[in-house]
Amino acid sequence: MPEPTLEIGSTYALQKPAFNQLIASLHSMGYQTVGPVVKGDAITYAPIQGLEDLPQGYTSEQDGGRYRLVYTGHPRYFDVTPGATSWKQYFFPPRSEMFTASKEGRNWRIEETPQSIPAYALVGVRPCELAAIHIQDRVFLRDEWSDPIYRMRRESAFILSVNCLHPCGTCFCDSMGTGPKADTGFDLNLTELEDFFLVEIGSEAGKMLVSGLPIQPASAFLIQNANRGIDEARKRMGRVMPNSPELPAFLLSNLEHPHWDVVAKRCISCTNCTQVCPTCFCWDAFDQPSLDGEQSKRVRVWDSCFNPDYSYIAGGNTRPNTRARYRQWLTHKLASWHHQFGVSGCVGCGRCITWCPAGIDITAEVAALQKEPIS
Amino acid sequence: MNCDPEISAALQSIPWFQEIEAMHFESMCGIASLKTVEAGEELFREGDKEDYLYIVLEGRIAVEIFVPGRGRQRIFTAEPMEVIGWSSVTPVVRQRTASARAVLPGRLVLLDAPKLRQLCDEDHDLGYVVMRRLANVVASRLLVTRLQLLDMFAHPGQEASNA
Amino acid sequence: MITNIAPQTSAVTNSRPMRPHWAEIIEIEAEAPGIATYWLRFLDPALSKGYIFQPGQFNMLYLPGYGESAISISSDPENRDLIGHTIRYTGNVTQNISRLKVGDVIGVRGPFGTYWPLEQAKGSDIIISTGGIGLPPLRPLLYYVAHHREEFGRVVLLYGARTPKDLQYTDEYDSWEKAGIETMITVDRGDESWKGQVGVVPILFYRMRMDPKKTFVLTCGPEIMIRFVVFEALARRVPSDQIFVSLERNMKCGLGQCGHCQIGPYFVCKDGPIFSFAQLEPYYNVEEL
Repeated sequence: MPEPTLEIGSTYALQKPAFNQLIASLHSMGYQTVGPVVKGDAITYAPIQGLEDLPQGYTSEQDGGRYRLVYTGHPRYFDVTPGATSWKQYFFPPRSEMFTASKEGRNWRIEETPQSIPAYALVGVRPCELAAIHIQDRVFLRDEWSDPIYRMRRESAFILSVNCLHPCGTCFCDSMGTGPKADTGFDLNLTELEDFFLVEIGSEAGKMLVSGLPIQPASAFLIQNANRGIDEARKRMGRVMPNSPELPAFLLSNLEHPHWDVVAKRCISCTNCTQVCPTCFCWDAFDQPSLDGEQSKRVRVWDSCFNPDYSYIAGGNTRPNTRARYRQWLTHKLASWHHQFGVSGCVGCGRCITWCPAGIDITAEVAALQKEPIS
Repeated sequence: MNCDPEISAALQSIPWFQEIEAMHFESMCGIASLKTVEAGEELFREGDKEDYLYIVLEGRIAVEIFVPGRGRQRIFTAEPMEVIGWSSVTPVVRQRTASARAVLPGRLVLLDAPKLRQLCDEDHDLGYVVMRRLANVVASRLLVTRLQLLDMFAHPGQEASNA
Repeated sequence: MITNIAPQTSAVTNSRPMRPHWAEIIEIEAEAPGIATYWLRFLDPALSKGYIFQPGQFNMLYLPGYGESAISISSDPENRDLIGHTIRYTGNVTQNISRLKVGDVIGVRGPFGTYWPLEQAKGSDIIISTGGIGLPPLRPLLYYVAHHREEFGRVVLLYGARTPKDLQYTDEYDSWEKAGIETMITVDRGDESWKGQVGVVPILFYRMRMDPKKTFVLTCGPEIMIRFVVFEALARRVPSDQIFVSLERNMKCGLGQCGHCQIGPYFVCKDGPIFSFAQLEPYYNVEEL
């Protein structure tokens, strides 16, 4: 059989055990591979060395305020949907030092805090998570300026995504148009079948990586299997977001809807939804001075629109209660985001539903608002 | 009823008297007089018996309330074409609720308050016109008083009494 | 409006947008109790020569050890030498700025935000209605109008403060008047010696006669004052796209990135701080947005 000519956009088949060669190639190219692992009865992201580190045989039960990792013993590696952690921590760390200012006489000298991090290869990025990364790109990498911490981390990263054949109870990527299949924006995209991974090449880096692997042309049978799996995944979405092109305008004209009071009674402003959200980008900055006052570190941390200080200005708080804060979060995510970044801020990953201690469900809240619109 | 030409001209310059019927204008003219004031001159004092409704033609009139221990507090200044002494025409209030004195030299129209009330009682059409305009004066005074009450320039945490 | 006579140099590094540029405090001018103007000069000569801003824009001022604060620029936009910031000592950062002395150095990023609609307002009347610490972001515009008076119709400044001693820039009113800017001042609480007007700023606006079609209304100050000015302007049939307001929100970046300053779909730091009322109208009456 002739060696297939590798092309971006083409799909090939890789026998499962050869996946470890793929990981080895990433290592040889200098990447640190991180992927889903089981830790503390949940899926999290951590360095992986090969297939043996992946959560083979696991699946998860997720519902409003509920997460259970379940071992079923099936042979697949990528059946389990993500836990609370998202990839955003790799590009937009929960805490980062921007610079240190040091006193020099009456002047100050700035030193950038060196970002000594490896180039990450993100393994097992779900289509919804891939979409989230591209949404955060719009936030941190602008035409006029870019965030140096995000840029350095993002530009050096390799993304290996995996199509989602087994969505969980809080998934609704299909309604948001972000999954269960990844279309673009990856270096390589896998579909996991029984004995094979289908490998789609998405970039030059991806092409280079695949060129050394024992790949085969993907047969029509395998491709059909993959497509069927994806079609079935669409039907098995645990949630549906009543999404439409009119949703942003609808939400912004229902800012005084009585339902905001109803949600506010359940919401405890814990900020979980914003911390687990793969697109939430708000941050706070503060100074961390040395005791002698000769130096000060400028630190950036994740913030949340549910924090009371978030909207504080001298003289008062512009969003003084949970009703105002929940409304800000939901309307920002699903409406304002379109105005600001030309795309929805929600990818349908369902984390905010699963990890809400009160089980508040963004899809149900939108449905409730739509049930009796005030305008 | 004859109308003094100087008074008539003064009244005609006041938006208050625009679009008022000729008959009513004449009645008003008959109870109006003109007064000039020097800077610092007092027009009336809090607690005085009501006598006139004033309309400022020129100058600036300060409306003040005496607060024991803090002296006279200036709460409002009336500019040309503005009305002061509105309480002289209301059905219930029968004494001055504040003092008024000229800050700058000025000229005013005085309307005899008892006669104005009488005119309004006798001719409800005129009474309606006067009361409607008066309601506007009181409403705008109430609005700006609310804003003063809010103390919108107070610094956070600053006591309202630190003025 | 302000033509770039030198290639524009901004005190924002596009690859490091959170990195401040240092400026020396050249002069500190007390304006009113708790309010002073800080005149700054960039240490970097290229920046000192090339820095340009538009009236209404703001800088993020950085005090190491304390943090940043968004402060509007209050100086003449055509003066390339010194940049003025009139600061009210109200928060952690500004209270510590009050301890700085001439010769000390402070971090600056900027300029950020939208600016007053000088270009659109050419040939029209302008009524500026402002109070308290709302005047500083309008002073660059007053300088501009004074230098280019012929470009505008009638220009009126209505300005209010709490008491006579809270009035800022008192020694400039005469020069504004001389430059053809009708300057009307009021205080909420007058004292015996005060010969001026007593009453809240909106009163001055209520007393104005205007030709609504050819009038631009610009307002900045406490939001409650802005409300009453805007509603009166609308009642006078000034078109909502000729009414401009400047808003204040919590800001950490100036870049439309940290998220804090949002109101409805806008980032106040990037899409504002100056908005036409036409932009804000759908959100203006929504409480706690």
